[in-house]
Amino acid sequence: MPRYAMAIDLSLCVGCAACAVACKMENQVPPGVFNLWIREREVGAYPDLTVEFRPEQCLHCENPPCVPVCPTGASYQREDGLVLVDPRRCIACGACIAACPYDARYLHPAGYVEKCTFCAHRLERGQAPACVATCPTFCRTFGDLDDPESPVSRALREAGRVDVLRPELGTRPKLFYLNAPSKRGLTQERQVKEVRHD
Amino acid sequence: MTEFYGLPNAGEFWHWTNALHFVLVGLAGGMALLAALLHLKGHEEARRYTLLALLFIALDLFVLWAESPARFRFSHAWLFLSFQPASPIWWGAWGLALGFLASGLLYLGRGPRKPLAWALLLCSLVALAYPGMALAVNAGRPLWNALMAGIFPLTALALTLGVAALLRGVWALYPLRLLLGASLLLAFLYPLTLSPEARGHLWEEGGILYGLILLLGLGVFWRERLAPWAGFLAAAGLRALLAMVGQWQGLGL
Ligand code: SF4
Ligand code: SF4
Repeated sequence: MPRYAMAIDLSLCVGCAACAVACKMENQVPPGVFNLWIREREVGAYPDLTVEFRPEQCLHCENPPCVPVCPTGASYQREDGLVLVDPRRCIACGACIAACPYDARYLHPAGYVEKCTFCAHRLERGQAPACVATCPTFCRTFGDLDDPESPVSRALREAGRVDVLRPELGTRPKLFYLNAPSKRGLTQERQVKEVRHD
Repeated sequence: MTEFYGLPNAGEFWHWTNALHFVLVGLAGGMALLAALLHLKGHEEARRYTLLALLFIALDLFVLWAESPARFRFSHAWLFLSFQPASPIWWGAWGLALGFLASGLLYLGRGPRKPLAWALLLCSLVALAYPGMALAVNAGRPLWNALMAGIFPLTALALTLGVAALLRGVWALYPLRLLLGASLLLAFLYPLTLSPEARGHLWEEGGILYGLILLLGLGVFWRERLAPWAGFLAAAGLRALLAMVGQWQGLGL
């Protein structure tokens, strides 16, 4: 059984949002909600200025807080590590939205909760997720963490540094950010606030 | 500066209708506890409060269903077709449903009284505990810390005793003052249990209202005619406010 993961090399990402648009198309994500979005941040000031382009989506956490809180079992984790929602069971109670520390989940207008699926339907056909397939800078890699020769394993091995979002929460994300542009790693909103207060 | 292409799904996910439920479920759980205790004591008012428990549980369950965007998909049946002991809401569903059953039987005078009263007691404790837990389990939400697990049961009982006092249950006033006093003390200490960041957010988003609710709550120690109202409104306000402002992810993203 594979253990799917994604890596995004932030030293290559230009924040063009091709992935976000591909996702919208592929998954017919309704207006106003997003499986995938880009966060763009400036940190520092000339001559020490960094811009971080950071695509965000469900990280398919290895230890997903969104799953145990679900009262109906609609939110579940597959053996291959994908965290998915069974819309037939979902009562749209929002417990999983509350539990997800990454704003990855939303209420689909049809009355259930949705989010990034790692393109489970494409994986079945042996294709990479739409965002990976479309990325013009080739900064996105995907594959089986347990296979040392998978693109994602290789990218992780070769990266100068590897970060995940909010690691302190113990969610063990399986979306890795490689080579974050800032020396301090992934940027946080509190850094932006600090700058504003200086 | 932070900018986006698209947006994180960071909007409010629980709305005023959910805040209403957080108040109603407090009343439902509290009334159920009261009814169970009165039955166990053989009190003459037991039946009256059993009816109230029945009504508030039904009202809350109705609001829960009615406000759910999944209402006409009828997926709520899955609440009772799955075993999810790690989910506070799952516990709440069973606690309220079985509480409804037990109070119904008690009200109709069917079945063994004592065991039913004990069952209702158990269900009421679940119903009282789960809303605070449903918030506190979200480790990523800085405002919903462990104190929620205490403030919610306490304010639920205060709500209930407020209603009881309004119904001229003279006995309700003393416990109301005690429990609302405890709720207010916790609510007063609560900001001190938060990180400076989270405290700042509470202050920005609800600071004045929070202060006003605490002040209003002090009214419970004043005139007897005013006390039940002050207790009820402060308890309800606190629950609604915490549910609403706590939908915040913090600054770690
Ligand atoms: S990112 Fe959010 S929705 Fe995705 S697995 Fe983690 S907690 Fe669940
Ligand atoms: S909104 Fe749906 S998937 Fe999320 S916790 Fe509730 S029932 Fe489960």
